[in-house]
Parts: sequence; structure tokens; C-alpha cells
Amino acid sequence: MRHILHVFFPIYLIAGCDIESSNNILPVPDEGLVMYAEANLHESQDTAQIAAAVYRDGEPVGLVGGDVFEAQTSTQRVLLKDIGIYDGSYAASLEIDVVQDVFLNVVHAPVEAREDRWYPVDILNIDPGPGELVGKSATVSFPPEVTITGPVSGDVYSNIADIVDLSWIAFGAGDNMRVLSLVSCSDGLTTSSYSTVVDIADDDGLEAMTLDRFIYDVNDNSPAIRFISDVAQALLQELLNKLSAGNIDPDFVTKKVDANPISSNCEIRLFLQRQRNGVFDVSFDDGVVLGSRSAEVTVNYVPATPQN
Amino acid sequence: MSAYTQFIIIGLMTVISMTVHASEMQLDVSVLLTDMDASSTDEFKSGKGVTLQYSYYLKEWLAADIGLFISDQTLEESQQDIVGDYRTSIQTNSFLLGIKPRYKFSTPYEVYARLGVLYWQTELEVEEYFNESISGGKTSATDTGTGYYASLGGAHYIGEHVVVQLELRHMMQLDVFEGESDYPFDLRINALSFGLGYRF
Repeated sequence: MRHILHVFFPIYLIAGCDIESSNNILPVPDEGLVMYAEANLHESQDTAQIAAAVYRDGEPVGLVGGDVFEAQTSTQRVLLKDIGIYDGSYAASLEIDVVQDVFLNVVHAPVEAREDRWYPVDILNIDPGPGELVGKSATVSFPPEVTITGPVSGDVYSNIADIVDLSWIAFGAGDNMRVLSLVSCSDGLTTSSYSTVVDIADDDGLEAMTLDRFIYDVNDNSPAIRFISDVAQALLQELLNKLSAGNIDPDFVTKKVDANPISSNCEIRLFLQRQRNGVFDVSFDDGVVLGSRSAEVTVNYVPATPQN
Repeated sequence: MSAYTQFIIIGLMTVISMTVHASEMQLDVSVLLTDMDASSTDEFKSGKGVTLQYSYYLKEWLAADIGLFISDQTLEESQQDIVGDYRTSIQTNSFLLGIKPRYKFSTPYEVYARLGVLYWQTELEVEEYFNESISGGKTSATDTGTGYYASLGGAHYIGEHVVVQLELRHMMQLDVFEGESDYPFDLRINALSFGLGYRF
């Protein structure tokens, strides 16, 4: 069942890239309790970004009343208290002093979960007690680190048919590879920003991708682009928060398109991710648990001639 | 005897002892538009309150000042986090004791200030809502303590004994729930007040 979801998930995204959809709920099975979790460790960072969500019968399960995801290593611990843009997702950053497995667990922490409130939450606390998800867990393992060898940061492309030759040090250990992108465009008057995902078939060290996986024409009804519409949004936002020391819009990865990307100057931040499957609690009927490591390179798109 | 009672008695004795040396008094009643601030993340709506203050003039320019401030229940905007929806409200009473210097312009105007300490009693109520299947509820707690106040006002005589007053006030309640909670806070109350005073 787990493998079915794993295959089903990217297929759905390719087939169903309804870019104007207002419903960003992950395609999960209609029945059963399903977990989705991912921990990503970015190059040169000593913190991992963690995102997690639980679904029951296809609907996200909100953790309320003090139930919260806890992520911990042998030395560090954090509660996932950031509410992700993606429905039902939670995120946080966890310090990783030594690369090791991350244990995810749903705990009931009525005071800690409220600690960001301004009032005395230890004496003014309506505690409904632990919910049914408390105690359920998953374990995330990180794959080898990612080292990008090409393209050179700052490379400029001028046509969406151009090829971006992404290269990296291959490991071929059976891990999944994908590219998350953050695209920021400006036509001089208006701006656009959005995030996309490209799956890579093999960890063989080279992937030739056309630029139309990142830059598109808003007038094209069937662009090759695939927008991120899942828990990866929460993960990416958490990573951006960390990389920018909090100096970024809280909904930066949410798609906002005013300037037509194909006729605008765009900065494309490419995050190459290596992903390794983790394990989730047997009490879940299904799920995807991923540990990933990433590296970044930034390229630019400057259209050769203005297009309308 | 509670600290609150002791505070009131000391205040009354102070005023009574001063009556030997002076002859001018003033009773003020004011309504307040309040702005409460307990944290950079609270979202209190504006509230209302009332003060009753008695001034006993020791000198032409200086009075002893004693009073009572009562606020209505001031609500916060509803907020949401990972736990659920929540909203707090505050109701507070303060006993005020201080001095009131003034400067009289040519009749009918004067400006004045107030400066002193306050003894407060504050009730904080929290209402939480989780979801359709997990009900929330309300809970509250009360604390007492001390703080200070300062204000600046102007008065206009509209009769031999009656003045109208406009006043900017600042009251600070220190260490609310200190000793009872690991998350104490200071409650800052800024207010604009309009009142009437009777001088006798």
C-alpha cells in the first residue's frame, strides 16, 4: 500500500496539475489513516526542516487541544508548531549537530503547544486531554549529502526551450531525486513568485531539463510546469525562513502571478533533493515518510525579446 | 489584613493628615477610552473605564491625589494557532495614590499632571475553541499587585466650582501573575479621559 501511494503521488501531480485549484489537499487514499512527513537537511546548514501531516479518510486531521508533532534526535527536540500553507501540515526546524535519524512522534503537550501565546498558559489552560493520534510515530533517515557540480550559479538562459544541465555527485544508492524550484519574476511593473517540482529518474549525476519546467507562459493552457501543491510547500517555506533568517514573506512559496514569467526577468533558485524512505508507525494504514538532503544553485532567465 | 486594605488605609491616613495644612479640594469623575497592551502579540480591542479621584491641595500648585480606576471587560480579537482558536479578556480595578501638580494660567485654564503608585486587581479570562468534536470552554484567574501611573491633562473652568478635564493617562501594572505562572507579563494601559471636576 505504501508503494502504491508513493507511485500514485507523483503520477497524480503530473496528471492533475490544476494550477488554479483552490484545494491543495494532497491526493491521499479515501479511506484509512495516512501519514506524510519529510525532514530535509540543506547544504551547510545545521538545522533540518521538518514537515508533517496526517489524513483520515482523505481529509487532513488537525492536531488540536495540545496534540502536536514532536521531532527529536538523541540530543535535540522541537515541536512542529508552524502551520504550513498546505492544509493540515505542520513544520519546524530541528538542530542537527550530527547527521542521524529523526524520530517523529505525536505528543500531547498542552502548555508547550501554547507557549507562543502571550498570556500565562500554564495557569489558564483548557486541556481536553490527549487525542487519538498521540503516540503514533515515524522515523526519518537522511541520505548522503547532495553536491551540485553544474550549472554555475548565475548562469543566464534566454529561452524556455533552453536546456539546464543539472549535474551532481551521484551515489546511486536507490534514493529518489527531485528538484524544487523557487521562481521570482519581474517585468518592471509587476512581480510573480511560485514554486515548482521536477522529479528526476535516477541518482546518476546528470539531468537535462528544459527551462519550461520552471518558466511558463500564463496564456499557455497546458504548461509543462508542475507547481508544488503538497507538504513540500511547508518544508520549502521553513527552509526559506531559515536561509533568510526570517526575512521572507510567510507565504512566499504560494503561487502569486502578476507578471507573465515568459516575458519577465526571473531568478530561479533550484533545490536539488536526494530523498530516502523512512518508516511509519504500523498503526497508520499508509503514508510517505522521507528524509532528504538538498543543495542549491541559482540561475537566471532573461528573455531574448519581449513576448506578450 | 490584606496588602490591598493596608494600601487603602495608608492612603486615607495620608490625605487626612494633610487636611490640617490645606483648604482646597477637588473631586473628579472621568470616563476613559482605554488601550491595553500586555504583549507585542496581544490584540486587545479598545475598552472603556471610569475613574473617581480626589485631590487635596497642600499648596497652590500641588495636591495629594487618591482615586479608583475601574475598567470594563476588555476583549481581545480572536486568534488561532496550532492548538485552536482562543480569545482573552481583561477586567481590572486599581487604587491610585500619588501627587497632582498643576499650573494655573489666567482663568479659566490650567494644566496638571498626576504621578503615583497604584494597587491593582486584574482578572484574565481565556476562552478556547478546538473543533466540532472537541469542545472548548472558559477559564479565568485573578491576581493583585502594584504598579505606577502618570498622566497629563488640561482643565477649563465652566463655573466657579466646576471644571471640565481632558487627560492622557498611562498606567502600568507590573508582574501580573508573577509567582503563580512561568509566563508573567506587564499590563500597560494607555487612556484618553474626559471628565468633570468639582472644586470646593
